[in-house]
Amino acid sequence: MLARFLIVFVGILLFLFESGLAMFSPLQLGDDTYYLIPRFLILYLIFLAIYYSRKKAMIYGLIFGLCFDVFYINIIGLYMVLYPAVCYIAAWCVKRIHPHLVFSMFLALLLMVIFEFVIYEFFYILQFTTMAVQPFIVNRLVPTTIGNLLFLIMLAWAFKYCISARVFQRAQ
Amino acid sequence: MPHFSNKKLIILLVSVIFLVALIGFSLRDRHNATLPEQIIKDTVGFAQSIVAKPTNYITSIFSNIDSLLNTYEENQRLKMRLEDFAVLQAEVSTLKAENSSLRELASIEESLRDFDPIQATVIARNPDQWEEKIILNKGTAHGVEKNMAVRTSRGLIGKIVIATPYTSEVELLYTNNENYRVSAIVVDEDNKEIHGLIEGYDDERNELLLKRIDSNVELDVGGKVLSSGLGGIFPKGILIGEITEVTTDDFGLTKMAYVKPAADFSILDHVIIAKRKTISIDGSDGSGTNEDLTNEPIVEVEGEE
Repeated sequence: MLARFLIVFVGILLFLFESGLAMFSPLQLGDDTYYLIPRFLILYLIFLAIYYSRKKAMIYGLIFGLCFDVFYINIIGLYMVLYPAVCYIAAWCVKRIHPHLVFSMFLALLLMVIFEFVIYEFFYILQFTTMAVQPFIVNRLVPTTIGNLLFLIMLAWAFKYCISARVFQRAQ
Repeated sequence: MPHFSNKKLIILLVSVIFLVALIGFSLRDRHNATLPEQIIKDTVGFAQSIVAKPTNYITSIFSNIDSLLNTYEENQRLKMRLEDFAVLQAEVSTLKAENSSLRELASIEESLRDFDPIQATVIARNPDQWEEKIILNKGTAHGVEKNMAVRTSRGLIGKIVIATPYTSEVELLYTNNENYRVSAIVVDEDNKEIHGLIEGYDDERNELLLKRIDSNVELDVGGKVLSSGLGGIFPKGILIGEITEVTTDDFGLTKMAYVKPAADFSILDHVIIAKRKTISIDGSDGSGTNEDLTNEPIVEVEGEE
């Protein structure tokens, strides 16, 4: 019970900290502007989908996605669908093989890049942005991936502890 | 591959249709929040404002360190300007007194410059940063309304696009929205006002575009761009930025200038919402509905009779 509460609580904290950390971005280095987009929640949800429960990860994704849509972008249905969809794909990928921690990290990072790209395409089609693909990759995708990799390492470390302590088995 | 039964396929199709409808619905009317949306916004906003306090504290430490590093250089520059400043201040205070006495003589009570400031704290910034938006901790309960100007101590940063009872959302000047216009003036050396509109920004230069300037007037690089208040919503005289380059626009009919914004957009924590004292109208700064405003009062009077 306590572990389940903790899982939701960490999710809420990550959701709130994302926007707090967004205040440090964009970074101006020389002539170039680099955008660091915190994607902590989706990485966390991917790990939950792999190690905890696919169904619960998708439900959390749906709720957090709805909050994100309403609070930040005023288009309901974008993050609300993408969060659970990414969780579903993550869980589907590890269905047959035992997920090693390094493999999960790689998978989470890959899914995050795809996620980022889908959102870019969405905003590009709606003409909210006129950024071309190349500056998108150089100024947004690469710094975002590097920044989130640091978080991912911490997350994987925490999950390693949780798996060895069998917290998830007790929670389920 | 996951196996889909017929039933699952139907559910999937229905939910896709539902999703498209939902996105379409919310895209159509993005600048008004429905009641459930308002409730979610206020709840998330409340939680966000608790978290924002330590975050703002840390951000301010960073900017303090940053300013500490430049102290020596800055100090020297400021010392040079200090003497000019004292003279300027004396001049401003006499001008102010003269202005108010002249106003009394001419019996003008309201000025486009007057505004009620509402202090607000930034509680969140859109994490995905595709649209430049910040969220403030003051809402309609504190007197904030849609289309009010938002500024920092250094200059204009944007306007309110959505206000719920306890939060409000600011669209920053850096936006790709074509309908986002701010009526602006440049005051040249002969104290003549040159009018133009801030419309959009340049991605590569990270500067705002001041468009629709009369092609006959001469603009100087370094001229200060201020809000004119003629759009009907914003107070007059809020600093927007400084001209860095003057060119002609795409069609060659009017002039266009690049404007470097005065406010620092990267770290925003405390902002001022300017509620202008003069009656606001639906001008180009606002929703721009082109309603007939001049004839309205007459119709009302006739109705009363």
